[in-house]
Amino acid sequence: MMPPRQGWEALQERLLFLPPLPEQLDPLALFALLLVAGLLVGETLFRRFGLSRIVGYVLAGAVAGPGVLGWLDRETVALAKPVADAALGLLLLETGRHLDLRWLNANRSLLASALAESGLAFVSIFTFALLAVGLSPGWSAATAAITMASAPAVVLLTAQENRAQGQVTQRTLLLTAISCALSFVVFALVLGVVHAEQAGDWLNAIVHPLWVVCGSAGIGLACARLALAIAARQAKGSAAQVFILVAVALLAIGVARMLAVPVFLSLFMMGAALNLADQTKVLAYTRLPEGHWTLAIVLFVVTGAMLPLDKLSWLTGLQAIGLIVVRGLAKFAGVVLTGRNDLPAAKRRLVGVGIQPLSATAIFMGAELAAIYPEVSGQALLLPLLAAALMELAGPQLCRYAFKQAGETEPPPEPRR
Amino acid sequence: MSDLSQLRFTPSRPLTLGVELELQLVSLRDYDLTRAATDLLGGLHYDDRFGEIKLEITESMIEVNSRPRQDVTAIAADLDGLRQVLVEHCQRNNIAVCGGGTHAFHHWPERRISPGERFAFLNERYGYLSKQFTVFGQHIHIGVPSGDDAIWLTHALNLHVPHFVALSAASPYLDATDTGFESARLNAVSAFPLSGQAPDVADWAAFLDHMALLQSCGVAESIKDLYWDVRPKPEYGTVEVRVCDTPLTVDRATELAAFAQCLARYLLRERPPVVPAMQALVARYNKFQACRFGFAAELADPLRRCKTPLATALPALLEQLAGDADDLGCRPQLDRLRALAASHQGDAAWLRQTYQATGNLHDLTRAAADEFARPSSYCAQA
Repeated sequence: MMPPRQGWEALQERLLFLPPLPEQLDPLALFALLLVAGLLVGETLFRRFGLSRIVGYVLAGAVAGPGVLGWLDRETVALAKPVADAALGLLLLETGRHLDLRWLNANRSLLASALAESGLAFVSIFTFALLAVGLSPGWSAATAAITMASAPAVVLLTAQENRAQGQVTQRTLLLTAISCALSFVVFALVLGVVHAEQAGDWLNAIVHPLWVVCGSAGIGLACARLALAIAARQAKGSAAQVFILVAVALLAIGVARMLAVPVFLSLFMMGAALNLADQTKVLAYTRLPEGHWTLAIVLFVVTGAMLPLDKLSWLTGLQAIGLIVVRGLAKFAGVVLTGRNDLPAAKRRLVGVGIQPLSATAIFMGAELAAIYPEVSGQALLLPLLAAALMELAGPQLCRYAFKQAGETEPPPEPRR
Repeated sequence: MSDLSQLRFTPSRPLTLGVELELQLVSLRDYDLTRAATDLLGGLHYDDRFGEIKLEITESMIEVNSRPRQDVTAIAADLDGLRQVLVEHCQRNNIAVCGGGTHAFHHWPERRISPGERFAFLNERYGYLSKQFTVFGQHIHIGVPSGDDAIWLTHALNLHVPHFVALSAASPYLDATDTGFESARLNAVSAFPLSGQAPDVADWAAFLDHMALLQSCGVAESIKDLYWDVRPKPEYGTVEVRVCDTPLTVDRATELAAFAQCLARYLLRERPPVVPAMQALVARYNKFQACRFGFAAELADPLRRCKTPLATALPALLEQLAGDADDLGCRPQLDRLRALAASHQGDAAWLRQTYQATGNLHDLTRAAADEFARPSSYCAQA
């Protein structure tokens, strides 16, 4: 019997339109297969073992990525980056919409909790990175800025996945949104510090953070206004409004990429602006379509593939675990020690657990920094990225545990017969 | 399990009033019902000065009970105090509290049964009906001095169930649909096997025999199992009117309490003829008429063998009660009900008009929550 290659070549002589026998799988096809694999692993972990689906998606990306099996090379990951950008952008848009300043105004102890947990996390991580790991002040600040926030995508998707409702869920979402906002501000300032530390370039040290903050805020505000203006002509909550919301969000992502402004920050700003500027509730009742779960799979598979698992050693692993412990205790203490008259202690503890996730945003922030100083950032960013890698697996579980212990989750619906 | 044949009626001062309101807890993000009652009570630091705040059958409901009061002014103060406590505490939890007999668009399978033995028992007994029972009513207690008076007043008030329904109707929307009813809430109550009218018993002794029968057959373990439109409540020494929708404002709730007090006073004083067996023939039909058509209901009168428009019977009755209202100090509340009966612009009409103006049920619920948050005009006058 003729081997397949020879058979193909024989056919090629007769059929002029046939291409040469493909040597390897097309990156897009490979990526699609990985998405399906991620989905299946995630569903299996969720249904069989009660684990978060997100863990499955990350595992699929990490195992197939350059750090382990290498099926997904850096080129393929780069190919999928715009889709992952869009996924993270849409999830941060939703997170921004949870930044509810009216709630903070009505309940000041929440503001105290938010400032305490984010502030303690920043100081603790900075000190740990500076003294225990020996990073420079600039990179210690960058590490703290990147890892101080909770993971908005994980928290949001965990709440949706478990149909969680209640004070622990609501407060975890709000504190996540606030910690993201603070982390983004600190991150912009750190950009300046890194410029000054690495290149002594004072012009860029001042102008780059301004560009990032003003550019993101400008894009976010303008796109929010645009979405509201167009959506006001449509029925509230209609499919047309969903389309407008998604389309304008994609526009914001595109403009942010064109202007080299962080996508995650621009979309977060857009979400926050939508929440604040929407006085007549034009888009308040419009939700992202269920399809954003598909984007979430892309996001976490890509995130998994971006994890620097090949650089994991005993020392770096221990340092990352140290960072996670220090950060975790600081965030937990910040929530438990504040708001005593507002929420029972048991529920405050669960909020403290719910805000532990750390992942995609941190990794994307790291990528922003790495793009500016590729030659020095590799080693300096290893600590936050490895911490994020470990928390990719533990974070969703902790968040789910908190919501479940609070009695705020719903069992998954029975499959239809 | 107590022996219902030995149930004692605790006498109370005649015409004492008490009001219970079942209220909706909604999310500020989309104004859908939200699971919030346990958290709300868990973080509430409140000394019961205006009455109790309690869990109800599902986590998206909360019940407030006024203290027993002698007059409507004190009831208005209690309800307004409870309203204020709830509104402020809900704001701290990023939710809102709202009146109305039904939530316009919630999805009942998403409701969760509240913790507690009684709620678990109801869920076990009634299955999905217990989640569908996420509807919101106002119950009015009127004090009576004896069990015999309670039984008589129960029958006498049964005749006026359509009047209470029309005046309080605030549930035209259900499952994101205009039901065409003024009060769709009572259809959810009708699904329960022990709903309807109290049996035709002559006095307290006969009522106890009836309860013993129900208990011996395993139908009911306590008075709480009976979802009658009007029922005696022996432990409080009251007769309880249970057919009103929770109104959109505490003002309307106060006015309905005033109506119940005036009507009870009039009935107990005049003792008009009451024929429960004849009333029972048309009670369900008359209640349906009021639920469906509100003030435009046509009531069947089995004694005179004719039909009577509620639109003429209700203003006449309110006119008749004016003297009692003067004596009880609730004339302003009764006058407002007279204006309402003349205009037919009740809460159901307000909900429909607001929906027309806003074009969606989320904004309708938001407007209803804003309406409930308004302080009582009766307390401002005081």
